[in-house]
Amino acid sequence: MQHVIVFVEHKAGHTRKVTFEMATEARTIADALGGKAHAVALGTGAAAIAEQLKAYPLDTIHVSEDTDVDKFLLDPTVDYMEAVAKSTGSALIIVPNTMLGRDVGGRLMARLDAGFNADVTDMKVEGGRLSITAPKLGGAFITTKAFKNCDFGIVTLRPNAFAAKAGGAGAQVVQIEKPAGKSYAMVVESEVEEASAEMGLEEAPVVVSGGRGLGGPEPFTTMLKPLADALGGTVGATRAAADAGWVPYSLQIGQTGKTVSPQLYIAIGISGAIQHKVGMRTAGTIVAINKDGTVPIGEFADLLVVGDLFKIIPELTKLIEAAKAAHA
Amino acid sequence: MKIVVTVKLVPDPNAEKRMDTATKRLVRTGVDTVINPYDEYAIEAALQLKEKLGGDTTVTVFSMVPETGKETVRKALAMGADDALMLSDAGLEGSDVWGTAYVMAQGLKKVGFDLVICGGLSDDGSSGGVPGALAEYLGVPGLTNARHVEVADGKLKCQRETDNGYQVVSGPLPAVVSVTMAVGEPRYPSLKGIMGAKKKTITVMPLSELGLDRPVGNDGAKTELLQFAPPPVRAKAHVVNAEDGPSGAKAIFDFLKEKKLV
Ligand SMILES: Cc1cc2nc3c(=O)[nH]c(=O)nc-3n(C[C@H](O)[C@H](O)[C@H](O)COP(=O)(O)OP(=O)(O)OC[C@H]3O[C@@H](n4cnc5c(N)ncnc54)[C@H](O)[C@@H]3O)c2cc1C
Ligand SMILES: Cc1cc2nc3c(=O)[nH]c(=O)nc-3n(C[C@H](O)[C@H](O)[C@H](O)COP(=O)(O)OP(=O)(O)OC[C@H]3O[C@@H](n4cnc5c(N)ncnc54)[C@H](O)[C@@H]3O)c2cc1C
Repeated sequence: MQHVIVFVEHKAGHTRKVTFEMATEARTIADALGGKAHAVALGTGAAAIAEQLKAYPLDTIHVSEDTDVDKFLLDPTVDYMEAVAKSTGSALIIVPNTMLGRDVGGRLMARLDAGFNADVTDMKVEGGRLSITAPKLGGAFITTKAFKNCDFGIVTLRPNAFAAKAGGAGAQVVQIEKPAGKSYAMVVESEVEEASAEMGLEEAPVVVSGGRGLGGPEPFTTMLKPLADALGGTVGATRAAADAGWVPYSLQIGQTGKTVSPQLYIAIGISGAIQHKVGMRTAGTIVAINKDGTVPIGEFADLLVVGDLFKIIPELTKLIEAAKAAHA
Repeated sequence: MKIVVTVKLVPDPNAEKRMDTATKRLVRTGVDTVINPYDEYAIEAALQLKEKLGGDTTVTVFSMVPETGKETVRKALAMGADDALMLSDAGLEGSDVWGTAYVMAQGLKKVGFDLVICGGLSDDGSSGGVPGALAEYLGVPGLTNARHVEVADGKLKCQRETDNGYQVVSGPLPAVVSVTMAVGEPRYPSLKGIMGAKKKTITVMPLSELGLDRPVGNDGAKTELLQFAPPPVRAKAHVVNAEDGPSGAKAIFDFLKEKKLV
């Protein structure tokens, strides 16, 4: 493996922090392998993303604004990625560890007969060989892995695990030619937004998470959201809250939901079941608020405040807002 | 219509996980093997479709797993699936995501299908790469993370979960879809279902029947485990009893300030 190719996930030109984390890491690895760092941005808004990405230390940004990428599910995206990979030659392909990233990664793996390493939190090149760190089984083990028997390797990078650092001389932006002779079958008929997607849960620096203790859907919007906003973060939930229909499943954290590693995780009215724990135990700092001092979350949180969440949260939000106002 | 549900068997998600230092594989002895939680939802989605479509619709369970997993596979039959196929072979030991997807695709070609339904993610490997790769190797359209699956007039129509909502996606059959937990709670096997499952067929297919053109299992793997270690342990929480709202809030605020998080 010599070069590095980053897949840019975006929606109409809006991307996430992990894109810049991937671009920064691509440079480090490409340098260590003696290759070039590429990125690929596809579909409506790709050119705008390419402009933003120029601030990061990449060599080449491959762009296509082909609207087929938006109209059809995945196939055009994978065709373009495959074309870039084949023209680049032996490469590490970096995708974000998100629903879409894993999808694109799995399909490219088949196209390129590539190796696949999921949920990567660190990479190093030792003696010309890439070594990859990934927590497994909900963080029960930290594994170090390598690729073998393949020209292409795919890693899904965990958001928030790598630093994003601007720099470099400004990448060259090139247009990708449309792969010939393709037809597409899976049609995206419409797109329905149910929640505002200001920030992806997996990349938020702060996650304010609510459980069954919230008692209904309202406190998620009237209490958790203002606290998350004050802290510059976003709202998450347990499965109990999602199952009750209080929040969409897209906010669920845990074994059968999302895995997050924010700097700060605030668990509100959450008992700390193992299936929830595996989705958040790698957070930098964990603060829990619970009326019961004996809950399992006390075993692994940094701070457990025993009290009524309905009384504590509004006061906490006020304190943080006041501190921010004093700073501004 | 022939629906095939892919079912992975995983160590009990609630059990403590251990790795064997010699083989660098997960220790599966002494730990119950269960159906991957996500795949129970895939089975549920398949059974719902069967009920809706009626007629000659069948549901086949498809699992790449050692033969020792037979009785666990039977639980999927007890839920209501019609029959099962296990791809079992010593030559599959040490398979990685690539090898798993490649071999499963060859097996699925043999079995035949109109619709393959996968879970979204396995509880142990958790790469999420298998469903998309299956679609590729099978050369059929693929659709992942469906929260609602519908088949009408021989066409597939799904709601595909996104970060902040869903997309309505449609396409032709045959196809591969993976589902999320929003398809509905998996049903419990009824006593009748459990009894009936004992008479249902579980076919075991060895690798030799697939006529593969490349090495798989450990020999074909494209990834290699160099090392594994336990994660850093988290200490118990510092516990503060809050007399009232403001004092609880202050305790948290002071803590966050000390940690430079506000
Ligand atoms: C196969 C499987 C997969 C699962 N996957 C997931 C998953 O991905 N994510 C997940 O989260 N769960 C998952 N679960 C469910 C998990 O086991 C727990 O049931 C769930 O996490 C509990 O959610 P909770 O903490 O919100 O609710 P509870 O356990 O009911 O906890 C509520 C807490 O709120 C506290 N509380 C109540 N009122 C107040 C108040 N006024 N002030 C302060 N505190 C209060 C209570 O003391 C209690 O500790 C899974 C389970 C299974 C079997
Ligand atoms: C702790 C651990 C870590 C691993 N890490 C890696 C890694 O980083 N790279 C790598 O290449 N391999 C890895 N493997 C091996 C890999 O998990 C297996 O090859 C696995 O069968 C396929 O990948 P997955 O579990 O990630 O499946 P996913 O893609 O997460 O599974 C999605 C769905 O595919 C279906 N499916 C998956 N496997 C099977 C099966 N065997 N039979 C039937 N249906 C199935 C199920 O419906 C499942 O819900 C790991 C295994 C373990 C136990």
